[in-house]
Amino acid sequence: MTRSRLRTATPVDRRTFVRALGLGTLVAGLAAGGLTGCASAVGEQKAGAAGGTAVRGGSLSLAGRTDLVPGNFFTTSSDGVTTVVGLVYDSLIRYPNDKVEPRPRLATAWTLAPDGLSLSLDLRPDVTFHGRNGAAGRPFTSKDVEFSLRTYADPRWSAQLRSTAAAITGFDTSDPHRITLSFAHPLSNLYDLLDTVPIVDSESLDALGRGESFVGTGPFRFESWTPNSRLTFVRNDHYWIPDRPYLDKVDFTVVTDPQAALSGLRSGQYDVVGGLAYRDIQTIGGTSGFHTVTLDGAELQTYVGANVNAPGLSDPRVRQAIAYAVDRQRIVDEVLRGSGYVVNLPWPKYSPAYDETRNSTFTRDLAKAKALLAEVGPLPEIPYNFQANDPVHQATAQIVQANLAEAGLTVTLAPLESVQFTKQLIGAQFPGIWTTYHSWAQYTPANLTVSAYPFNAQKNASNYVSPAYQKAADDAWKLPAANAPGARAAYDALNDQLLEGLFLIEIGVVLRQWAAADRAQGVGWTKRCEVDLTGAYRAV
Amino acid sequence: MLRYVASRLPSALVVLVVASILIFGLLRLVPGDPATTLAGPDASPEALAAIRSALGLDRPVWEQYLHWLGSLFTGDLGRSYLIGGSIADLVLGGLLNTVVLATAAVLLAVVIALVVGVGAVLTRSRWVDALVTGANTVALALPTFVSGVLLVLVFAVALPILPSGGVPPLGFAARPDITAQYLVLPAICLGLPVAGSITRFLVESLRTELAQPYVLTARALGVPRRRIVLFQALPAALPSMLTALGIQVGSVLGGAVLVEAIFTWPGLGSLVEQGISRRDYPVVQVLLLLSVAVFVLVQLLTDVAHAALDPRIRIGGSV
Repeated sequence: MTRSRLRTATPVDRRTFVRALGLGTLVAGLAAGGLTGCASAVGEQKAGAAGGTAVRGGSLSLAGRTDLVPGNFFTTSSDGVTTVVGLVYDSLIRYPNDKVEPRPRLATAWTLAPDGLSLSLDLRPDVTFHGRNGAAGRPFTSKDVEFSLRTYADPRWSAQLRSTAAAITGFDTSDPHRITLSFAHPLSNLYDLLDTVPIVDSESLDALGRGESFVGTGPFRFESWTPNSRLTFVRNDHYWIPDRPYLDKVDFTVVTDPQAALSGLRSGQYDVVGGLAYRDIQTIGGTSGFHTVTLDGAELQTYVGANVNAPGLSDPRVRQAIAYAVDRQRIVDEVLRGSGYVVNLPWPKYSPAYDETRNSTFTRDLAKAKALLAEVGPLPEIPYNFQANDPVHQATAQIVQANLAEAGLTVTLAPLESVQFTKQLIGAQFPGIWTTYHSWAQYTPANLTVSAYPFNAQKNASNYVSPAYQKAADDAWKLPAANAPGARAAYDALNDQLLEGLFLIEIGVVLRQWAAADRAQGVGWTKRCEVDLTGAYRAV
Repeated sequence: MLRYVASRLPSALVVLVVASILIFGLLRLVPGDPATTLAGPDASPEALAAIRSALGLDRPVWEQYLHWLGSLFTGDLGRSYLIGGSIADLVLGGLLNTVVLATAAVLLAVVIALVVGVGAVLTRSRWVDALVTGANTVALALPTFVSGVLLVLVFAVALPILPSGGVPPLGFAARPDITAQYLVLPAICLGLPVAGSITRFLVESLRTELAQPYVLTARALGVPRRRIVLFQALPAALPSMLTALGIQVGSVLGGAVLVEAIFTWPGLGSLVEQGISRRDYPVVQVLLLLSVAVFVLVQLLTDVAHAALDPRIRIGGSV
């Protein structure tokens, strides 16, 4: 009897356990079914299917890798900043993506004095800043233009075109809808500045610095910012372009992991995603329901920089050997997946400084590279820095290392974390060569030498000092306009200096890309990669 | 019990002070500073120096440390260099998200451990043992960045029935059904290794308890095995599991950094990750010190719970 009771004291046998497990699975399944059945989070995200008709209403969800940094507001250096500036603010003029010719925006017309020392701009009279709770705010006037340009020139904001803004010496704002700017000297990149500077509200600049409020005249009003997470924007019902924007709402989510962003796009959580690897963009671009947005006009350039004071690199023949050895086409084909093209000089093809002949100075020629290195004699091993978290730089560095090894030059790959890399770049502390991107060549040519630190003629990351380069850069900057008489000669001189000094060995122009679901249509951008959703809509 | 708790407080304070020095010092040893991020790659060295001076980063390190510590004692957590807002607000926002995620993960882990652990002991089957051991090993060995990606690929991309990441747009309380859907995948991803670990502890503890003489006596008296396991061995085995769970809270907080990145969950983990990558010293210092404080507190609470469950500890410890 005892024995029998002890047997019944072991009631959970294998069969019972399996039954219990099955029951548990069923309950879990029912729970999951219940969760997903009563109201689907995925269904709510995907509302709105692919199609082609522009309609009012709806929302778009964007995803980018880097959050807003209010202190970087004027530097367009993060996805959060470019989203806020693109959606909430307007500029005085706007360049079309494929040209460097100003088009009206908040300024409707302008007249540059023949000597290039003053510019008068007529301003739109029907523009208001964003008000509280969706109401129209105060009117936009010439005082706001003066305030915005003065703020941009404030060293506190480290804006890239600060030196150009600082060259504005006078502001005549006696007419609220007309402003006349006076300059210390002619500024060939003046319109670049007017295209770049967002018109900010003087009454909320402190709140902007704290990340609490962003008030502009743009198509969307800033609604909220949850740091490290999300920005939300709502339609500006008082926008000066009639019946625009189409969308009621825009969300921007910070997604630091590119694979998570890709999954979010595939699952319908996001409509437009930036910061993906070119390989992933190519794949999803060929998938039904998705397309690729190529940001023509917002080009970057990838290059090999050289510290001309570093052992071995002080001899220009070594830098020439590198220029001959690098297989640029392979980098464009394999790393950028064709989203770019080979260059020797920084300019994109539509730039006034682009020169097909000079741009072909250094084509891959291993024999020449070897001969140059043989002339120089034995060289030390050269460190090669790049940002470790960027797959483009990582792959580029590996190809360049292999190319240089073929030519007989040994370089050691030395990946750096992003902040450390930037610190060494600004401090001109690289011990050898490095690879990264530069920007600002998509504007007026002179902009590059006064705005992009690696090209700065006075002080740069390569420790390159050349009176001839300084003169060429200064001559180009002080042209009355980008296409003024004599501009071609000035750009030729600048190009010759860049090719002679070769402190930055260009690899290629990089065309940035976003991946988007087909339901997101009409997505635009500026030359600084700011998202422009004025004409964007959710297709139904 | 109060004396028992009081005896553990001094060591907790020492840990916090030493941690504050280490956190502050180690952050300064990492190359680069927040001024570099604020300046951007096109800034001149002069602009960088001006920003560094404005942030007080050109002052001696010990002076910066004392200033920070002084602010902490007055309840001022400071302001983020890069985000611009109050750190207290940032931490509170992130803390809510992390607490929700970590709580869900721990609850899930405990439920799994209890069901699987007790089930495995009750069945006394070799193949169930092997299955549980294998599952535990996989749960422990599978890194969260692998399990997370797999979960997303299966449940958000291939079978799009759950969101791939993010938090409910309207908050946690507005739509509990939607909230649950957003929570499922990150909670499983974060909770699986914890479940594997504490299941193993529970199974071993239960087996140890089942070998005790009181179990033999109970069986001799004819008490059913299920009753012995559930009402006698399990309560005796729980302290061990609780200790293991306390230790695992550290893993949960550490694992949250990766899980929050994979699932775009804006908690403290992502705040730490962003803070470190951008050298936002004030934010990182507060968050790391907070992590240490939470860990110390959890250990303290675990000791107290352990003592409450097992009088031998209380008696041996203080009474």
